[in-house]
Amino acid sequence: MIRSRFFLMLVVAACSAVGFALLVDSALTQEKAAERKFTSAVESKAEYERTVAPFLKKHCIMCHGPKVAEGELAFHELDIDMKASTSSGRWAMVIEKLATREMPPEGRAKPSDDELKAVTSWIQAEMKRAGKNFSRRHAIANGNKISHDKLFDIKQAAPFDNPIRIRVLSPEIYTGFSTDIAKGLSLGQPFTPEGRTTFKDMGAPKIDEPVAVQLMNNALVIVERQTAHKIEGGKLVALPGAVKDMLSFVDESVPLTPVLMDKAISGQFQKILNRAPTVDEKARFVKLMQKNVKDAGRATGMRYALVAVYLMPEAIFRYEIGAGKGDDRGRIRLAPREIAYALAYALTDKRPDAKLLSDAIEGKLDTKEGVAAAARRLLDEPKLEKPRILRFFREYFGYDKAKEIFQEDKANPEHDPRALVEDTDKLIEYILAQDKNVLYELLSTNKSFVAYKTAADTKKKRAEAIKKFEEQKKKDPAKFANKLPQKIGRSVYTAYNLTDFPDQQPVELPAEERAGILTQPSWLAANAKTDENHAIFRGKWVRERLLGGVVPDVPITVDAQLPNTPDKSLRERMNVTRQEYCWKCHQFMNPVGLPFEIYDHFGRYRDKEPVVDPDATAKKVDKKGKSLGIVLREIPVDSTGGISGTRDPAVDGDVKNAVAMLRKLAKSEHVEQVFIRHAFRYWMGRNENLGDALSLQTAQKAYGESNGSMKALIVSLLSSDSFLYRTPTVENKK
Amino acid sequence: MAMNRRDVLKGMTLSAGSVLLSPILDKLQAQAGGRAITPKRFVFVVESNGVRPEQIAPVGVQRTPRPQQALNGPAEFVDLALADRRLPMSLEPINEFKNRVTIVQGLSGRVCGGGHSNNFQALGAFGAGRGNGGESMAIEGETIDGALARTIPGIFPHIGLGISKRLENNVIYNISAIAANRALPTMCKPDQAYANLFGSVAGGNAQREFAARNNLLDFMREDVGRARTRLAGEEREQLDSYLESFETLRNRQSRLNEIQHTLRERGPVVNNKYTSAVETDRLDAQFDIGAAAIICGLTNVLTISSAAGIRDFDITFRGLGLNIDKHTIGHGGSFQGHTWADLYNMIRRYHFTLIAELARKLDRVREGNGTMLDNTLIVYLSDGAEGHHSRCWEWPMVLLGNVGGRLRTGRYVDYPGYGRQGHRTTANMYVTLLQLAGSNRDTFGMRDQGLRDLDQTGPLTELLA
Repeated sequence: MIRSRFFLMLVVAACSAVGFALLVDSALTQEKAAERKFTSAVESKAEYERTVAPFLKKHCIMCHGPKVAEGELAFHELDIDMKASTSSGRWAMVIEKLATREMPPEGRAKPSDDELKAVTSWIQAEMKRAGKNFSRRHAIANGNKISHDKLFDIKQAAPFDNPIRIRVLSPEIYTGFSTDIAKGLSLGQPFTPEGRTTFKDMGAPKIDEPVAVQLMNNALVIVERQTAHKIEGGKLVALPGAVKDMLSFVDESVPLTPVLMDKAISGQFQKILNRAPTVDEKARFVKLMQKNVKDAGRATGMRYALVAVYLMPEAIFRYEIGAGKGDDRGRIRLAPREIAYALAYALTDKRPDAKLLSDAIEGKLDTKEGVAAAARRLLDEPKLEKPRILRFFREYFGYDKAKEIFQEDKANPEHDPRALVEDTDKLIEYILAQDKNVLYELLSTNKSFVAYKTAADTKKKRAEAIKKFEEQKKKDPAKFANKLPQKIGRSVYTAYNLTDFPDQQPVELPAEERAGILTQPSWLAANAKTDENHAIFRGKWVRERLLGGVVPDVPITVDAQLPNTPDKSLRERMNVTRQEYCWKCHQFMNPVGLPFEIYDHFGRYRDKEPVVDPDATAKKVDKKGKSLGIVLREIPVDSTGGISGTRDPAVDGDVKNAVAMLRKLAKSEHVEQVFIRHAFRYWMGRNENLGDALSLQTAQKAYGESNGSMKALIVSLLSSDSFLYRTPTVENKK
Repeated sequence: MAMNRRDVLKGMTLSAGSVLLSPILDKLQAQAGGRAITPKRFVFVVESNGVRPEQIAPVGVQRTPRPQQALNGPAEFVDLALADRRLPMSLEPINEFKNRVTIVQGLSGRVCGGGHSNNFQALGAFGAGRGNGGESMAIEGETIDGALARTIPGIFPHIGLGISKRLENNVIYNISAIAANRALPTMCKPDQAYANLFGSVAGGNAQREFAARNNLLDFMREDVGRARTRLAGEEREQLDSYLESFETLRNRQSRLNEIQHTLRERGPVVNNKYTSAVETDRLDAQFDIGAAAIICGLTNVLTISSAAGIRDFDITFRGLGLNIDKHTIGHGGSFQGHTWADLYNMIRRYHFTLIAELARKLDRVREGNGTMLDNTLIVYLSDGAEGHHSRCWEWPMVLLGNVGGRLRTGRYVDYPGYGRQGHRTTANMYVTLLQLAGSNRDTFGMRDQGLRDLDQTGPLTELLA
């Protein structure tokens, strides 16, 4: 393994901050990355015959061949020339099925890792030849597809597989970076999460031209501010916001000496990349500066040269290319500096602090324990803001979407989604502060915050308004006879079925009415339509995020609309989904979604629900027979449902409503594992695969042994092999 | 649809003298190669809150909103000449162009999710994606402006200008997309839009900025190119797309350089409306910039969004003296004695004043044997389809322009009811636009399963000359 020896040598260099650039430079230029790609169909076919055909014959053809074609897949008919056919999509699926070990099915002979690798690499190489954009990262859009049982089986089902990667900064990191550098400037956000992934920061969105333009414009705004000046009487005068040290760069009266240029370049590198420039980099920047000043004058020329550092790939991308030591299992470790950045970005939106960078230089991140200690330090540091933790819960539960669901004001003037979301944020922070049985509490607590930011103030102002009103009424009873006191703020407490703002927060709500985040009005409103509940969304959430199930997207051939029969309850209207074709998927959602019918779409607990009374409505007409509006009647809520798929007979089974369901789920080990899988996805920025089994199991153990400490779970994940090691891709290995 | 170009080419080779023919042949070959002789241009004006069908029928033509169900309209195709009819109040501003106007009613867009806005779905004719909920922000595919941008790319393949109800919104993404999950930006600040489009010739320092920018882009191409060689596979692709952005930008610089005289002569003049807090001022400015961008040849596809999208649809047009937002109007709110219907009309009329001014500007620029307007089509519609709470059973549109005589205009047309023979969808409208732009595609967006018994392919032949 030339590569690993090579890295051993360079690890010394990596110990200095400067070393990183050197290392990236030389490591990868020496190892000219050769991409595996067939040059012709003939070459591809030969490789197919050599490795793939025997594999298919041995493992696949009996179920996917001339005799039977299960899943409408028959390999003898699947074109191996992906350029001349449209078969690449199906081949992509083959990779997915093999990677998840879904195929060959249980009970069949298991292919060896080498066999699997050979088939996968042929498919990928042929795709490259065909120019088909198959992306390994996107092969498995839904992480739940990976077999849960295999992930939590002691016997690891597949070898460690975690390719190196580079990813653009998340929007939040970019904001964190630019607010550090450009205080008070409002910059446009260039980055957008890719979407379609479980968590926002999991994809690998590519930079396109509008993004590049925005990056460049932002950088210009920053540099212009830093060098803001005017010329008065031939002399440069600084304007507000200018950085004194940087003015000499743009001041024509100061000669542009090599020393000055060096200062300009080094300053930018230190500020933006946290390191000094290499000799080569310096030379290139000097050249740019000289040319720019010649073509565009001193101020403009220098500004555009300073801008370039902001646009360097290292400033825009997160590098996790495994520039550290290799091990005997063919894995390479992230370089200490890479680890420092990855740790910082795991918990904060800022670049690593000085301590973390010095840890990297001093070799403190060279061991698992060292990394765990560094992660622990960041978690325990009270002054360090760690927005990434709350963001995990926001994205996992999705309650903050309540702010995006457009609700008619008239239907419930007290609805204040912003306050509801803040309450749930606060409840999560409260549970995290205890850091004990975190998931259990999240799913079962009947504590809640109620408009906690404004409750006391609103209550006080309301009392004052009433007092003032009473005084006025006393003075002039006639004028105020039919008036009401001025109403201040919204009665957010109604969402929690309270009669007033509570004085103590958190308040205990009736245990038979509320159980955890999924019974918070924010979550319920986030998973609702503008005018009614959305039992299907709610059920899908529970099925996917607590039970780890897979619910396919609505097939495009389905016009998924419930019948427009307002005289029926939602449950009755959803009976259409019981048709055999629909029920295939809806059986996974309806039974865990309908228990939430004990709440309305604003999250208010209820035991009766309103439906249209057709007879009374028909009778409510004026003399001419014109309708005077609809009449509602109340019917009892049916909130029954059932849990399935927890592999635990004590948990599976019928439930009478959401509260009963959640209290059962809160105790399920399966649910705990599914939660850990989601935490893994969030903190690794990718879906788990079978090679991550050990990391997941270790994380579960750490969580269990610490009595459900979220901190312990995070530390375990951030010091796991899955976080620290990478496997070189086929192309990079060659 | 026009004759197949290759047939034309063949026919001409046989019938005419080759000497005389060669310049024509060049042009035809250029056209057959995908480059149109005279560029076709498309402007989309998307106004939030729905276009009520009854409000855009000519005076005297009775048209009520269709019921929200299948077979909701007549079996016949309605085709009336506008020449002897008065335009409705809100369309009066384009009266002078009446012979180039087509009012199109009766198209459906049921694949879209409906709601207060259909967001990307409006120009995309695709579904709402996961969950099929209303008001979804899903981008299931390209939108028509994105598709046209790829068909007839200008220096800027697509320019999106608009207003947001929030003054601080700079660039937003909510109606246009170049492909699935790849939104195109709508620039909401006129001054920023101006800097992006005309910055190369703006201000005294412009020339130097331009040169420095070129150097920077050259440097970045080299720097990113260097970094990319150190990686392989998907990692390299990440850097490749970054590199490609710089290549595109550098290339654009060269092209802007080529037309700098035009930009100087015909670029817009910045005024205080560019940074105004008043919504109508900013929309005025955006039309101003948009017109100049087309006239200068910066783009062939322009989308002007008047607060389209679910986040902005409830904007208040204070500049029209209204102190009532569009959401309230949509719910039947009245203001100073004007009913909701009056208010809808007043606001739409204001938009058509801007459209008329845009048309006039284009009509003043000579091009070939005619004017620029002859090769431009302005399409007016709402992301909220047929009403405040759209269900997309109908999607009224107004077209201005005949695209070199290829559209038979000066008409009011109304397609048969949903599900009836001859019923067409917005997807067919978008296919029509693509074909006018020289594409030979005959499908767009998603098929409507509710119309599975009808042919949903091809353009709206009834509109073509």
